[in-house]
Amino acid sequence: MNPVIGYVAIAAVALASALIGFYGLRVSRTTSDFYVASRTVRPWWNASAIGGEYLSAASFLGIAGLILLQGSGGLWFPIGYTAGYLMLLLFVAAPLRRSGAYTIPDFTEARLESTSARRVTSTLVIVIGWFYIVPQLQGAALTVRITTGLPSWVGSVAVAVLVAVIVAAGGMRSITFVQAFQFWLKLTAIAVPVVALLLIVGGGEPPAQLTPAEAFPPAAGPGDLDVYRTVSLMVALLLGTLGLPHVLVRFYTNPDGVAARRTTVIVLALLSVFYLFPTAFGLLGRAFAPDLAAPGEADALILLLPGRLVPGIWGELLTALVIAGAFGAFLSTSSGLVVSLAGVISQDLLGGSVRGFRIAAVASSLIPLLVALTTESAGLAGSVGLVFAFTASTLCPILILGIWWRGLTARGAVAGMLTGGVLSGVAILGGPVLSAALPALRPFLEQPAAWTVPVAVLVTVLVSRGDHRGVPRGTDAFLTRLHVPEARR
Amino acid sequence: MNESSSGRADAAGPPPRVRVTAPRPGGGAASARPSLPHGGGPTSDIAGVYVRSLIRSQLRLAVVFAIGFAVATALFVLAIALVPALDSSFVFGVPASWLLLGAGVYPLALTVAGLYVRAAARNEARYRSLTEAE
Repeated sequence: MNPVIGYVAIAAVALASALIGFYGLRVSRTTSDFYVASRTVRPWWNASAIGGEYLSAASFLGIAGLILLQGSGGLWFPIGYTAGYLMLLLFVAAPLRRSGAYTIPDFTEARLESTSARRVTSTLVIVIGWFYIVPQLQGAALTVRITTGLPSWVGSVAVAVLVAVIVAAGGMRSITFVQAFQFWLKLTAIAVPVVALLLIVGGGEPPAQLTPAEAFPPAAGPGDLDVYRTVSLMVALLLGTLGLPHVLVRFYTNPDGVAARRTTVIVLALLSVFYLFPTAFGLLGRAFAPDLAAPGEADALILLLPGRLVPGIWGELLTALVIAGAFGAFLSTSSGLVVSLAGVISQDLLGGSVRGFRIAAVASSLIPLLVALTTESAGLAGSVGLVFAFTASTLCPILILGIWWRGLTARGAVAGMLTGGVLSGVAILGGPVLSAALPALRPFLEQPAAWTVPVAVLVTVLVSRGDHRGVPRGTDAFLTRLHVPEARR
Repeated sequence: MNESSSGRADAAGPPPRVRVTAPRPGGGAASARPSLPHGGGPTSDIAGVYVRSLIRSQLRLAVVFAIGFAVATALFVLAIALVPALDSSFVFGVPASWLLLGAGVYPLALTVAGLYVRAAARNEARYRSLTEAE
């Protein structure tokens, strides 16, 4: 591949993001501007920004790679990523906006009147954020290696540094506009190549490398469903979305609960359109690039396919476009995560000042960078799926029970979060070792959400019931605030 | 950017800019919040009854829609799996079963979302009419 295309595309996206970020700096002055854009963001802007932030390396590169590698099992990932917003709409969107809190730890503390529950939540948010940034940096490493031939670490370092600078300089007001821009960039960058490839392939040139029956065998098709794994993956993705720190923080920027619902529906529509394109890429890859179907390589399908199928300058331009989109995906998800992590860290440790936010932003970019530089990517969609499983087992039960169940107490919440965190953490980190010793447990360790989420909920409910201190005094007032519609203006 | 987005605001005008502050330990989160209909405040009995019934009906709504979505998706997938002809009928070189699973669940999720938003707003309107009738 011609490395010049890679350099130009990456530099253009970086420059555009930085320019929009610094433009935003001029209108971002007060502390509340920094944290939640003073709550003046309109649903369409907000929904684009949520989409821009949410569509990560796993969505842009990982899904197509997984469909190429596993077949129709990969189709479940975009379904789960999208339907997660349905669960968010049903259980969380409006009440969370009305809670008036900035971050999930703020919500926990206000709901449970407990600083220890807050500390546990903050720790979980930080861990989740770091582990979610790592695959983004690994995706950047892959993209830079494939497209420019430079060593992998250059990509990870470039994204981490750029994100730290943009976030520390502009805060969330500017990030909202960067993210909204990123969504439309990513959609264009994947839709245009897909349409071009379909037109070219439809003309019969070049011919597919496999016949349809070979490329789409029934054994890899929807009929051959592993029920436990699919259900468990769906539990992880549907409920994990509720707890993602960078997604939730954006709901606070809606003017009211009704706008929060409208925003969520728009996000659902935007994602439904977006995910058709990586799916199409994956299906094209099965017929036209079966040689890429190897772990670690499959994630590069979207970057390589346009150049293979379209000869000459048009192929290079399409390649530049997908590189720009992929780089946009790493930048936007990482910066969204860094914003929310910096918000949590600076409020809990650094006094909530603008300076503290900046220090925290730099720290939350550099620590995942260290992890990314010292580990190998095992497939982008898979690693992000495990972060969703962890989130679904820890933050999701507390959010849902905190919003809907009067009986939740601080002890119950802490016990449930620790149980869910330990169980899913052991399954994810210790899975390879444990399943080598006990092969029968392999599916339960590789897709833990189907059992860790119910156990976490059960522990939360039982410990809350047995808590002799009873529910916090302000519970009724707080629940009232969450559910009563705003006064009409 | 804020200025430009307010410039093309609809008839209702842009939402007023509200200063929000981080909640401090001991105090609740601060934001513009709905006031309860009664002078008696949140502890007033009749207001509490209305709020509890609002929460119950919203929860019932959310659970019904979530289960409905899960059951509909499961039936859809089951139908795809149980018709082997879908694996062997190719549309543009891709089996119909793959295309259905790859694109069919999104319209379902959107439909459920749209219906839910209207139903949730109806519950809130009913709460409003009850409390404002007092």
